[in-house]
Amino acid sequence: MSLFQQIDEIKGQFQTELKSLESSSENYEQIKNKYLGRKGLIAGLFSQMGKVSAEDRPKMGQALNELKSECTQLLENVVAGSDNSSESVTIDFDSTLPGNPISQGSVHPLTLVLNEIQDIFKKIGFSIAYGPEIDTDFYNFEALNIPKHHPARDMQDTFYISDEVMLRTHTSGSQIHFMKEHNPPVRIIAPGRVYRNEDISVRSYCLFHQIEGLYVDKHVTFADLKGTLNYFAKQLYGENVKTRFRPSFFPFTEPSAEMDVSCIFCNGNGCNICKYAGWLEILGCGMVDPEVFKSVDYDTNVWKGYAFGLGIERIAMLKYGVKDIRMFFEGDTRFLRQF
Amino acid sequence: MKISLKWINDFIKTKLSTDELEVGLTDLGLECTKEEIGKSFTNVVLGKVETCKPHPDSDHLSVCEVNIGDEELSTIVCGAPNVKADILVPVAKVGATLDNGSFKIKKAKLRGVKSHGMICSGKELQLNSDHDGILIIDSEKNIGSPIDDVIKTESDTIFEIDLTPNRGDCLSHLGVAREVGILEKQSIQTRSVSITENSESITNLVSINIESDACYRYASRVVKNVEIGPSPNWLVKRLNAIGQKSINNVVDVANYVLHDSGHPMHTFDLDTLVDKTINVRFAEDKEKFTTLDGVKRELRDYHLLICDGQKPIALAGMMGGENSEVTKETTNILIESAYFEPTVVRKGAKKLDLSTEASKRFERDTDIENIIPALDQLASLIQEVAGGEIVGGVIDNYPKQKIENSIAFSLEKCNEFLGTDLSKLDVSEIFNSLDIAYKNTEDEFTCNIPTFRNDLEREVDLFEEVARVFGYNNIPDSLQFSGSYSAFVQDTQILDCKIREYLANRGFHEHYSNSLNSESEVSHFTEIASIPIANPLNREMAFMRNSLFPGMLKAISFNEKRNQKNIQLFEIGAIHQQDDKSETKTSESFNLGLVWFGESQMHWKKTKENVEFFKVKGELESLCNFLNIPKIRFVENTSMGFSYSVEIFSRKTYLGRFGLIHEKQNKNYDIKRDVFACELNLETLRDISQNSKFIFREPVPFPSASRDIALLVDKTISVEKLQRTIKNVGGELLIDSTIFDLYEGNKINSNKKSIAFSLTFQAKDKTLNDSTIDSIMQKILDKLSKEHQSIQR
Repeated sequence: MSLFQQIDEIKGQFQTELKSLESSSENYEQIKNKYLGRKGLIAGLFSQMGKVSAEDRPKMGQALNELKSECTQLLENVVAGSDNSSESVTIDFDSTLPGNPISQGSVHPLTLVLNEIQDIFKKIGFSIAYGPEIDTDFYNFEALNIPKHHPARDMQDTFYISDEVMLRTHTSGSQIHFMKEHNPPVRIIAPGRVYRNEDISVRSYCLFHQIEGLYVDKHVTFADLKGTLNYFAKQLYGENVKTRFRPSFFPFTEPSAEMDVSCIFCNGNGCNICKYAGWLEILGCGMVDPEVFKSVDYDTNVWKGYAFGLGIERIAMLKYGVKDIRMFFEGDTRFLRQF
Repeated sequence: MKISLKWINDFIKTKLSTDELEVGLTDLGLECTKEEIGKSFTNVVLGKVETCKPHPDSDHLSVCEVNIGDEELSTIVCGAPNVKADILVPVAKVGATLDNGSFKIKKAKLRGVKSHGMICSGKELQLNSDHDGILIIDSEKNIGSPIDDVIKTESDTIFEIDLTPNRGDCLSHLGVAREVGILEKQSIQTRSVSITENSESITNLVSINIESDACYRYASRVVKNVEIGPSPNWLVKRLNAIGQKSINNVVDVANYVLHDSGHPMHTFDLDTLVDKTINVRFAEDKEKFTTLDGVKRELRDYHLLICDGQKPIALAGMMGGENSEVTKETTNILIESAYFEPTVVRKGAKKLDLSTEASKRFERDTDIENIIPALDQLASLIQEVAGGEIVGGVIDNYPKQKIENSIAFSLEKCNEFLGTDLSKLDVSEIFNSLDIAYKNTEDEFTCNIPTFRNDLEREVDLFEEVARVFGYNNIPDSLQFSGSYSAFVQDTQILDCKIREYLANRGFHEHYSNSLNSESEVSHFTEIASIPIANPLNREMAFMRNSLFPGMLKAISFNEKRNQKNIQLFEIGAIHQQDDKSETKTSESFNLGLVWFGESQMHWKKTKENVEFFKVKGELESLCNFLNIPKIRFVENTSMGFSYSVEIFSRKTYLGRFGLIHEKQNKNYDIKRDVFACELNLETLRDISQNSKFIFREPVPFPSASRDIALLVDKTISVEKLQRTIKNVGGELLIDSTIFDLYEGNKINSNKKSIAFSLTFQAKDKTLNDSTIDSIMQKILDKLSKEHQSIQR
């Protein structure tokens, strides 16, 4: 039998066996080995190539290759066909039962708001810095141009540890810590917990969280302060929000201002949340007072700067519609799990 | 502070609407809101309370029978504390509207009693801002007369101004009028006072000695033969409008001038002064003095006193004494108009916790040049309302001059600072509106600050004035942001964000607890010396926390009481302890706290599981793995507040502890069920995690092979020991050993346990053959048997 005849024969044999296989594809590995395996029938034909005349060899080779690829293809079709052939089965269990529980926790709403604010300032290159919660009179007051026996001390009721040591009443002291340790330029925000000796109520708690911003460089202007805080307001509340700046007083800034945003609930038309003013007060700010630079040995002729501070709870209460500040500190999981 | 628009009109006739004034003053830095008073009302009449009985079903309501001029009495339920029988009151009849028409009086039932109308307060009738009780009226008019005929109030607008502490100059109508003048771009009309003096000379009656630097100036006038009595109507109305009560004519005019020009003055009964002398001196330490509010006060040597020839008669700048007060019998009055050092008044008032209208103004600094005009105004007003004669002359003892305040101002610097493009003309106009006199050469100004603006001391203060008057909102916003690369610093707490996200995804809720704890709370879990607050709000919050546990356990208790069954919380927060080495004598560190409470979520596929040791341990192992904390070890060492607990180490570094909270603490925090809790030193975690080096390992291409063994060992032998032996013998080829079964029970000896390990072997450079693995396994079993007397099952 010539090799060509053998090819035809094997081809026929393969097809017959394959047909018998189609109903159950379990034995396909067996067939695959028999024909296409390393010691299979087709490989056996290849090994006989040496006996073929040089003239016929290319044709022979081509025919063998075709056989091999045809068989491979046919076999694959059977396998694929057998996958497709199995029709989808009906579910014989109740798929409406709930899946295995994966308990999901939550990040605190104050953290969420803090992160959001940090991200806004990080995008324009502010770094994060920190100051201690227990601080000295120098950092919390004196260096911020709030001397002893100044009425500005009444703006904040203070918890004292001793005459000279207290729980910080604002994060502004972080400005001083940072500037004492770093040379200008400065571009930081400093978040943290602050304390006020005030009666606890729906609106006020003995502690809350602030985020302080400080920017020091050459040629910084009040217009820069406004530009940055406008960017901030638009990032936080959307492009359509309007801002307004009102003169205010903080001993550590001059000029000092408070920034209002157009009420995010009524778009400035007046509602009970903004007390029909159309504006919501959200932060205090100003140009760094030269006295502050003097207390950290920055040359006031060279360096200018602006600073701002805002309360996280205030922003969070507005954002989530939380009306009682105490809820942030109770740890009520029915409250927390919503965030 | 309340400011009356009518009163402001004495100084400046403003054409601005009240809305424009409200916005304009706010934009100038005088944050204000306004309130209209003195409207006319229909259906509000004069009534007489005939009987007044307590409400049968309320402890604060009264049921009144009120005559309102009708044939029958009306029953009205009233909640005011000052309601009683036989008083005349304003009554809003059914059908009346109050509060600008938004509040309509209807028949109502209050706790079962029908009420026909309402007895009104002064605020409800927009007469004043008094809402503490109903308005009690003294009138000759007939019962039932319309209220507008009974109480003639003029309509007015009252601005409530929330003044910042730097603007002491605006604590008066004169001061606010100046700001209105800025808005109107016109100057104000100051008061002109004419004085008619008698032929006597004050210097023959009184002498003044100033013995202290803290009093820069002390001026006086004397008014003789006055008659103390009620104030005239105009005065009562002015004071009522701004929420001040009328006392008598002399007290009222002094109060009037205080609110008019802002200068606090004091009136003495001249006849009570020994030697008719005024001495200004500091108090002796612990000197006692009784102020006119009847309080005997112990003074310190920094309290400034006004004395007569013998004794103190007033606490300078704060309050007069009981011994020299003007009374009904007073006929001769000495008026004090003085300037006291702000910090002296501030320090003294703070120490005594005594804040008065006077001290509030002296602390914020007063206008030293207003001393004489205010004195003249008061003397003239006393004469006007109380008769008498003004003694000729003024004593004006003025030993210490205030330095005239002159500030150099550069327009160029100002524009550079604000980011504006103001012209010379612009700033000149601004200075004019502020009464700042100036000379200028080119862009350089020399500015003379008026004496009432003590807050303007430096060039930058003038920049603020320019910005304020020009309008903060008129300053353009920068359109670009620039920053120096060198300003960047590393965030030392960056890891905290990752931890929060991770734990939230592992089922923990983040908690923020109060960092102020009670004395017992700070002794529950650690002996770390905690820090007491010198002036705590209450005993529950008298210490800074030294552990996160108390706050977290309080949260668990809160949740358990609300029937929450499955609670996992974490908190990241600072704890504090005493530390003599630091400047504050305290040190701060950050901890990560975790608590587990209750049972797993209910599910149809499995029974509920209570939280237990290995769940907690696994969670912590996983957390450490996530944070790249290597070589975690757990060491049994029960610590304070726990039933049992384990310390966690990374190599030899202590990370924290966890365990089962002791029953005693469960009682302290009122928690019924088991709580597992863990506190980790976050700073150590940050440190190790940030310094851990990541090393990538190429996956090994050769297959691994596993062998299982089951060992019978004494119960006392820890798995950790067995594991160590296995690892030592297994060497590099042993890449994993897992425990897949543990059995203790009646199928084996009661002091034995059976443990099954699955060991996995793999070489980096070849496929291991069975004989190599078998020989290692044999060595391992031999060693286990030798060291731990284990028997292979």
